[in-house]
Amino acid sequence: MKTSNMNKIWSDIKSKYSIFLVLAVLFIICSVVNENFLSVNNLSNISRQISVVTILAFGQTILIISGMLDLSSGSVLALAGVLSVSVYTMTESLLLAFLVAIIASVVCNIINGLMVTKYKTPPFIATLAMMTMARGAALLYTNGQNIYQIGDYVKFGQGSILGIPTPIVFMAIILLVTWYILKHTVLGRSVYAIGGNEEAANASGINVNKIKMKAFIINGIFVGIAGVIFMSRVNGGMPNGAIGFEFHALTAAVIGGTSFTGGIGTAIGTLAGAFIVGFLDNIMVLTRVNSYLQQIIRGAIIALAVIYDIWAKTKRTKRKLGNIEAKSK
Amino acid sequence: MKKWLAVFLVATLIMSMLAGCTSPATNEEGTGEPEESGDKVYRVAYVARAQADSFAAWLANAVKEEADKYDNIVVDIFDGQASDSTQNALIENAITSKYDAIIIQPNNGEAQRPYAEKAVAAGIITITTNARIDGIQGASSVDADPYEQAKVNAVVALEQIPQNANVVVLKGPPGNFHADARRDSWQKEFFDKRPDVKIVGEEIANWNKDEAMNYMETWVQANSKIDAIIAMNDNMAAGALEVIKDDSRFSEILAYGVDGTAEAVLLIEEGVMTSTSLQSAYALASALLDTSNKLLTGVETQIDIDIDCPLINKDNVTEYIEMHKRAGAIR
Amino acid sequence: MDVDIKLRVSNIEKSFPGVKALDKINFSVKKGTVHVLCGENGAGKSTLMKIINGIYKADAGEILIDEKVVEIQNPIKARSLGISMIFQELNYMPEMTIEESLFVGNWPINKYGNVDWAEIRKRTITLLKKESLNYLPETKLKDLTVSDIQMLEILKAISYNSDIIIMDEPTSAITQKEVELLFKKINELRDRGASIIYISHKMDEIFKIADEITIFRDGCVIDSRAKEDYDMETVIAQMVGRKLENNFPKEDIEIGEKLLEVKNLTNEGNFREVSFCVYEGEIVGFAGLMGAGRTEIMRCLFGLDEYQSGEITIKGEKVRIRNVKDSIDKKMVMLSEDRRRYGIIPVRSVKENVSLGSLKKFIYGGRLHAKEENDTIGDYCTKMRVKTPSIETSIESLSGGNQQKVILAKWMVTDPDVLILDEPTRGIDVGAKFEIYKLMTELAKQKKGIIMVSSELPELIGMCDRIYIMAKGRIAGELSRETFSQEGIMRFATKTTS
Repeated sequence: MKTSNMNKIWSDIKSKYSIFLVLAVLFIICSVVNENFLSVNNLSNISRQISVVTILAFGQTILIISGMLDLSSGSVLALAGVLSVSVYTMTESLLLAFLVAIIASVVCNIINGLMVTKYKTPPFIATLAMMTMARGAALLYTNGQNIYQIGDYVKFGQGSILGIPTPIVFMAIILLVTWYILKHTVLGRSVYAIGGNEEAANASGINVNKIKMKAFIINGIFVGIAGVIFMSRVNGGMPNGAIGFEFHALTAAVIGGTSFTGGIGTAIGTLAGAFIVGFLDNIMVLTRVNSYLQQIIRGAIIALAVIYDIWAKTKRTKRKLGNIEAKSK
Repeated sequence: MKKWLAVFLVATLIMSMLAGCTSPATNEEGTGEPEESGDKVYRVAYVARAQADSFAAWLANAVKEEADKYDNIVVDIFDGQASDSTQNALIENAITSKYDAIIIQPNNGEAQRPYAEKAVAAGIITITTNARIDGIQGASSVDADPYEQAKVNAVVALEQIPQNANVVVLKGPPGNFHADARRDSWQKEFFDKRPDVKIVGEEIANWNKDEAMNYMETWVQANSKIDAIIAMNDNMAAGALEVIKDDSRFSEILAYGVDGTAEAVLLIEEGVMTSTSLQSAYALASALLDTSNKLLTGVETQIDIDIDCPLINKDNVTEYIEMHKRAGAIR
Repeated sequence: MDVDIKLRVSNIEKSFPGVKALDKINFSVKKGTVHVLCGENGAGKSTLMKIINGIYKADAGEILIDEKVVEIQNPIKARSLGISMIFQELNYMPEMTIEESLFVGNWPINKYGNVDWAEIRKRTITLLKKESLNYLPETKLKDLTVSDIQMLEILKAISYNSDIIIMDEPTSAITQKEVELLFKKINELRDRGASIIYISHKMDEIFKIADEITIFRDGCVIDSRAKEDYDMETVIAQMVGRKLENNFPKEDIEIGEKLLEVKNLTNEGNFREVSFCVYEGEIVGFAGLMGAGRTEIMRCLFGLDEYQSGEITIKGEKVRIRNVKDSIDKKMVMLSEDRRRYGIIPVRSVKENVSLGSLKKFIYGGRLHAKEENDTIGDYCTKMRVKTPSIETSIESLSGGNQQKVILAKWMVTDPDVLILDEPTRGIDVGAKFEIYKLMTELAKQKKGIIMVSSELPELIGMCDRIYIMAKGRIAGELSRETFSQEGIMRFATKTTS
């Protein structure tokens, strides 16, 4: 009896937290394979390296859960970042620079939101259009050139608060915000409901358009912050920066169990997804795997992680169904 | 709702007008010219690799500035958007529009070769640049030799890098002509001659600063001793240096790049970076315009030249800082 | 029982992790008969049918066709063995045209090896003409009514010339007239020598069409007899394993104040000048054929669609309803006929589904109060008798009847005055239906006004105090409890002029 109970608890853990299991196993393997992996510095490095993409991924998580996505986040990041850097070089005000990044990014996302809600453009197309427009605007503004000599601006991404590097602090705060929104607010519930079944959500009295707009605005704030951290980390205003980051962010969210069919996903899962990719990239460089081979391995592990996650979850639903049918006898 | 749409449309319109200023403006200036001077004004199409590529954008800007010095030449800039098909279409359009000369900065030399050949066949003066497409009958070229650019660094590195050193290598995108030629040069001119030097890390950072940072962060975890950073461009060298700028273990590290960007010359001035070689967009642009002029006016029929790639180090860096200051890239 | 067995299943077993869905099932279908399968949801009928159709694989046992053992790995194999199936849940692609959907997976090929669209067009037109359906072959499915799509599905299954046709609750979405058409078809098929396996909950249908009846309960075959040896009471008793004392738990409840009054409500193209009212404690029925405009009225009342003119008065206050929120604020809620589309959020928990209509109730300082929410939701789930392992369970894993109760619970949390129930018992089993009726009675006792839209006349007659009958977008008649009769209702419903 006791063992079967243990088995049940174990299988519960396995299915509910399957992606964390993948992460834990990967962590153990990495620690064994290379002695440099398990050091405070290296782990802090990984966290810093994934911070920008992870912050974007939190925005994506909220959007994907509500049945949308944002292909423009990499480009909007670059636009918000170069505007912010350039405002800083003109005014030397960190606060103003920070606000400019967020405002620019939120404006882009409001346009995304309007295209989706008012004009019923599919989010894929709306944000694809924004991706091109924002990149173009960033290049136009800088004339294609990087902005250097950005002085104290680097404090955003290279400084530390209580000994913790600022990118990690930002990432942690945004993790908490995302978690709180999804778990403890009406907005979060509505986001899940809309992604799960938009018509039913509407028929439950939820203002679908308003919620979608809010999701984009929150995404905008996150992308703006990511833009500041990115530019500060590379010590320059780079209009060509963060190309393809929207896909890295989508990858992290999806590995973390966010479902593209909508209605499913968590902030902590996305964090786990981002760390899986982060660990993998790190260990392959540490162990000096051939750079072409790295791409193959990265793709394969991503596929395997998601396959395992889906497999573990299907098993769970089947068992649950079984329980209920057994109960109703 | 309508208000928003209006704001959005107006914003787009303004943006497109601003964007439009860059090329048609030169066109208008040009059309005014012939009536005043009565001389023939030559129309030149400059097909850039990508306006989104910072060196390519710099070069395009330099070409435009340089063209202003010539009364008889008008240059229209076209953006190849880092895409072979876009660039090929632009070349075809330029042929159809009967430009007097076409300057091609290829995205991928081999992919643009047949189109460059088409331009030659149409009797249009064709110049390839950065990088040149070799062996097109009747075409001219202006380039900086990537092998040479890396070599000037490798030669000094032979002396500077200590015995049994550990080095890390940052590469550009695989398949890129400049990326491959620079790496090849380092191999032949340095690594083959210095078997004692050990490569403790070699990764593709795609010319990008942020990717180079990520690799360097990991390398310094695994290696307490890294004596030199060998990067195929300045962006990646700067990225690697960004990681270790406050790390006392690496205060003596050597770092080599290529391009001579504003950031790199500042780092050399600070004494953080060791050397780079200049791939000067200004030098390329002036050579391009000079070559175009000679070919268009019939002084010569075929020219192949390489611009110099001078080494920039602590001793001569002031000169290059001045150059960037004049261009407005450094304050 | 010797030569004419068409299909025989022998000792079929099937387990899903944690539960035995089918336990040593034995039964056989004779050639040229209609064999009805009865049983509550989850009894195993659909699982068995899916095994026969090659969607699931049995753990043990054999399937024999014409007394020969066959392996059915997938539905394509099943089709080649002469088996076709009409599913209960309509899974259709809205952008597909009629002709595309009729021939999907079974395209005629022309001599160049391509799909022969001319042939498809020709055959579709013939088929539509034969069935007197007035549609162009290129009409998209999304432009058809649910019942037309169901009819098309049935036609499609028949057009394969199968010997064994499985129909899983085919009448749950079609009109009375179409049911008769379907039965005519079934009789034709039977006369042609085909065997039909017919799954249904509707007693009157079962006794009208069946030759033989097999009862399933809890993954076992309980009994199998010829129709003549059964009566309705026995069937129900065997299905639920207990006797249902009273089919309709209707009680006399005192009718109170006027809650809702609708005057001359019009939505062009759907309904015109509709007026009716609902009182406290009253259950008001809406009868009518499919397309008579019943659902459309309810959608307007609930704010899902807009109305052009007319007046809605709730508790003496004139209101204008523009969206669902307006309706909920005025304490009027609706249970939609299409539970999967407008009712449930499938991937989320019971709790989240229940609290969705009244999230604001649980907010303190911008934050959802977890304990308050859990307690309230748990409370309402108990009141509505939702059978679920926990309120955190995914709603998808509940039976249809329980899902329906979850949605009722969702609306009860909002403390409504008027409940609109559009086809509240569609697609749920007998036991669950009875529960829903009981809940309706309890709600009426709490002085709530209930509007019940239904296509099943017996339940309207059994449960309602008054019935409005609609025809062609207008109210054609009104009957009070003393004058209820199926014939009376049908007379109004089929009125051609208004």
